[in-house]
Amino acid sequence: MDLEKLLQKHFGYPSFKTGQKEVITSILSGRHTLAILPTGTGKSLCYQFPGLIFPGQVLIISPLLSLMQDQVEQFKRYGEKRVVAVNSFLSFEEKQFVLKNLMKYKFIFLSPEMLQVPVVIQKLKEITISLFVVDEAHCISQWGYDFRPDYSKLGEIRKQLGNPLTLALTATGTRKVREDIIETLGLTEVTKVEASVDRPNIALYVEKVSDYREKESRVLELVSKLRKPGIIYFSSKKSAEQIAQLLANKKLCKVGVYHSGLDQDTRILIQQQFLHDQLDVICATSAFGMGVNKENIRFILHYHMPMQMESYLQEIGRAGRDGNPSIACLFYAPGDEMLPVQLAEGELPSEQQIAWLFQRLVHAEINFQELKELGGFSDVQWRIVETFLHQANENSDFKGIQESFLKFVKERLQVKRSYITQMKKWIDSCYCRRECLLQYFEETLTVKVPQCCDYCGIEFQVYQEMNQELVTQQTEETWQEYLEKILT
Amino acid sequence: MEQLESIILYGLKKLNGERTIFSIYHLLNGKKSSQTIQDAHLFSLKTLFGICEGMSRESFEKIVRRLHERKWITHCGKQQFLLTPAGNSLLAEHRVLSYFNGWDFHQLSSLFWVRFSLFIQVISNLVFQETTYIPIQKNKDALNWIKIILRKIHLPKKQIGPAVYQELMDCFSRAEEINPSMLVFRLTGYQQIGLTAEQAAKKFNLDLYEYQIRFIQTIHYLLGEIKQDPNRYPLLHLLIADFRWNNKLTLSASKTWELLSKGYSLEKIAQIRRLKRSTIEDHLVEIALNTPEFSIDSYVGKELQQQILEISRQSGLKQLKHIKENVKAASYFQIRLVLAKFGGGSWT
Repeated sequence: MDLEKLLQKHFGYPSFKTGQKEVITSILSGRHTLAILPTGTGKSLCYQFPGLIFPGQVLIISPLLSLMQDQVEQFKRYGEKRVVAVNSFLSFEEKQFVLKNLMKYKFIFLSPEMLQVPVVIQKLKEITISLFVVDEAHCISQWGYDFRPDYSKLGEIRKQLGNPLTLALTATGTRKVREDIIETLGLTEVTKVEASVDRPNIALYVEKVSDYREKESRVLELVSKLRKPGIIYFSSKKSAEQIAQLLANKKLCKVGVYHSGLDQDTRILIQQQFLHDQLDVICATSAFGMGVNKENIRFILHYHMPMQMESYLQEIGRAGRDGNPSIACLFYAPGDEMLPVQLAEGELPSEQQIAWLFQRLVHAEINFQELKELGGFSDVQWRIVETFLHQANENSDFKGIQESFLKFVKERLQVKRSYITQMKKWIDSCYCRRECLLQYFEETLTVKVPQCCDYCGIEFQVYQEMNQELVTQQTEETWQEYLEKILT
Repeated sequence: MEQLESIILYGLKKLNGERTIFSIYHLLNGKKSSQTIQDAHLFSLKTLFGICEGMSRESFEKIVRRLHERKWITHCGKQQFLLTPAGNSLLAEHRVLSYFNGWDFHQLSSLFWVRFSLFIQVISNLVFQETTYIPIQKNKDALNWIKIILRKIHLPKKQIGPAVYQELMDCFSRAEEINPSMLVFRLTGYQQIGLTAEQAAKKFNLDLYEYQIRFIQTIHYLLGEIKQDPNRYPLLHLLIADFRWNNKLTLSASKTWELLSKGYSLEKIAQIRRLKRSTIEDHLVEIALNTPEFSIDSYVGKELQQQILEISRQSGLKQLKHIKENVKAASYFQIRLVLAKFGGGSWT
């Protein structure tokens, strides 16, 4: 089989990206595969391609609802209409319809909570699953930074579905996490395809500043000097808004803000404006970037440190997809590590919340939505709570469940703290950043690039905009002209 | 004076001190409680219903404070105000309410915007023969709708854009108090992404709510104009052809009405719909306001109905508390039902 020919024919690409061919070959020859491919290497092709060849359905488990919608949309955009996402976005009627007609789809995206529904499992048993794909497979591992309790049941579900051929995909994963993925999924004889996490065309730069004022002025300075487009990542919506305001007032760039506090319409427009170069800098929280395929991003700034190396890698990986020189700059001010600690704590229900919840549970009548609101649980917190409430449904030993819940929260916090410590250690490291980063992912640096990191030396002019200009107000278009432009 | 200020001033004038300012707030926000819906009818404020959806309480209170500081309104009770002579004459100068039609349009205006913005994006890309682009609307109904509507247009694909352009230019040329910029720059087309509400507000140097009310006014203008003269705007009329204008009930209330018509009791409906009894009661009040064939006799005895109406007629007031104090046997729910059924218009 000439894979390249098929690739050209069905997808219009002349050649595969790193790792894609190895994964596809492995799957086509019927071997379970664990693929560790960095973001931006086209992971979805790894199951879309075999799906065209295999009879039967491809099932894709994906934890991120918004990402799932993006993928479905992209499939459709490029002509694959036999695709569907089964998740909580569907209305009851739509869900009924989809489940009744599962056979008609080729690619079925599923959120893990849907797999908790017996009817769904029943329907899945009735179709031929030729490939079982676990996206973001690191969520399976309790050593992973993004552990999701509902993911840990995937092995059991896989068994129920008759141990179909499996592809586990993740962007990063330490050895421990990989072992966990294989074990939890119950895979034997696994082919591993690992691409290096190194992105040689991205220079790594870390700067320690004395306080937030200095940080602010350094960020403004860099944004004005660096070649655009770029993204600035923040841990808080408020600072993202604040810096965007400053950049706009000083007319340093065409700036937009993106975070989960904005409504969906606004988020879509901002993202599209960035893709169409109507904006050249986005001040964003980690909510931004998933599904953003922009090839020419030239810089990624980190105003705050990410919560773990994995996120850092993922975020800087959005730069330089076109292979051209790009730069990632992270700023650190003393005490900055407190923010990720607070965020980590906020992602988990607090001890008080758990105590309150179980007190309520003793009283029979439980309305989940009401409990969520009254207890002040965020969506992220509630997802965890629900896993434990499921147990409480089957088992009335509330005391026991409460204890294991508390233990779980404590352990998660521990894991998250250790990830933050690792991140901080990298910031504090005093030799080659690239080497150090690779070491964390258990790789060794083989090729030394000329523009490496702040320790090995970077020539900043490589990344500078030659003719710096303030954003000038163009002659104002009238509404009549605008309408004429887009419609005629 | 800004537009929002004059709208609130107008609302307070109509309330005549019989309700607190929050009655106006809920009204502008389009709150679907029966109290608010009732107020919209009782005080003839239906045009303002839901025209500032999403406005925060703080912003609203700030504007009221400003009106007070400028001595356009004066206190007549806790959170209750009357217009001063200055306020009255100011209001007379401003013709603020043209084109607003909140009661008829508020439920349809967001749907209209979803469709309109998607329609323009799609036909713009048709003009430029672009087939791969991301739709700016994710709403599945709208995406299905656009496919159907395109099949109904019997023009060559490249000519739809210019034809819609002509209709829009014609439509906007007929309104003096409308500034089409408020809407046009929000539109997305081929290789040109529209502004967000925040960006548009900034572009026009307006406070966000002040911008939004102008945006809504433009939407209401378009809706009214297209609805009134379908033959003049054959393409634009496709956007609203299937709208149900006379459906005066909120969606949830119509579901309750459906069950009620089948003979289910209040309790049973609450149980089936998994809603609180008080919510179902709110629906009943809403139904009483809008559905002539609905009889309230099984919820309020004839005699009690008479007593309630008597008291409210005597005092000329529609304050529930006042009526309750004088008709002790009636519940608030019953009073609201009676006022909803018989209280509108005739004696205001």
